Amino acid sequence: MTETNPPPALTPLTTMESVLARYPGARRALFRKYHLGGCSSCGFALDETLGDLCARSGLLNVNEVITYIRASHDIDRQLEISPQEVAARRARGEPTRLLDLRTREEWNAVRLEGAEFVNQELMQGLMGQAGWPGLIVFYDHTGQSSLDAAAYLAGHGFTNARYLRGGIDAWSQEVDPAVRRYRLEPT
Amino acid sequence: MNVDSSMHDDFQRRVEEARRNPQNMGELANADSVGTVGNAECGDMLRVWVKFKEENGRKIIDKASFQSFGCETAIAAASLAMELIRGKTPEEALQLRGEEFARELGPLPPTKVHCTQLVEGAIRSALAPPGAPPDAQSPVASPPSSQTAGNLNESFQQPRPRPEGSVRIVFLDER
Repeated sequence: MTETNPPPALTPLTTMESVLARYPGARRALFRKYHLGGCSSCGFALDETLGDLCARSGLLNVNEVITYIRASHDIDRQLEISPQEVAARRARGEPTRLLDLRTREEWNAVRLEGAEFVNQELMQGLMGQAGWPGLIVFYDHTGQSSLDAAAYLAGHGFTNARYLRGGIDAWSQEVDPAVRRYRLEPT
Repeated sequence: MNVDSSMHDDFQRRVEEARRNPQNMGELANADSVGTVGNAECGDMLRVWVKFKEENGRKIIDKASFQSFGCETAIAAASLAMELIRGKTPEEALQLRGEEFARELGPLPPTKVHCTQLVEGAIRSALAPPGAPPDAQSPVASPPSSQTAGNLNESFQQPRPRPEGSVRIVFLDER
């Protein structure tokens, strides 16, 4: 199971890579409030710690930053939907679109039944359908980047946009083991 | 509250005051010159419009306005800068440096210094004579990097772009 309650711990020694893994919306939150991580001038390295980032950013109190990341995460979770709930809704016949954000190679290797591959054409068509009554669920491999997509649509008035917690990997573990799990390796 | 936190709060208060009532924001009709720096894709962009007039045989800045897609510090600094360059000749305005534009905001946190450089760069872009060689001290806009946040649209429409064949998919049940 990939249940994320209670929230994962953050300390000043947590690397930014771990921060982003545990709190997928942290980068957006850090930029929104502290203007960190938005461009090369204010960017951060994945291997630096949260404490180091706050220290070199001058006057930032690391505990306040951690509190803010967690608070933003709570808001992000309103866009989250579990694999079980998506499966239950589909089983009840509720209109649901599953939108796959992964690479073409991953899509070709394994996908959720009935899913659609996201490309620019699909997004352009989707943007004109804000009133569509069903559920729109974005998914990626492990749930790290689909939150951004759901947030983007939510910002355009799509109150029915969600991201799949844990991605297709969680779906494999929690709903359908026939969907093969995988990892990506450099060649 | 510790000293650092107090200074940070004070800075935020001054920025908020300047941002809440920005001066000279928006496109300037019939501008004589326009300068742009930054890249809206990464959240930092500033555009400056300038209109000149003749006064006592000198060409001076009559009006200046700005538009920003940056953070509130950039907006606050740009707002102050537009007031500061008014009445100056282009040459005089080009002598000003980023820290002077934000002096009223007080000491800037290190992460905000580039906001004033953005303002300086936009003014320099608007005022530098056409064809002038790039100034070594002029801030140069940074292109979006694949290692930085980019924007929301980018982040999921081009997820982790990889050269074809650079990764392979390994099914866990084949181990």
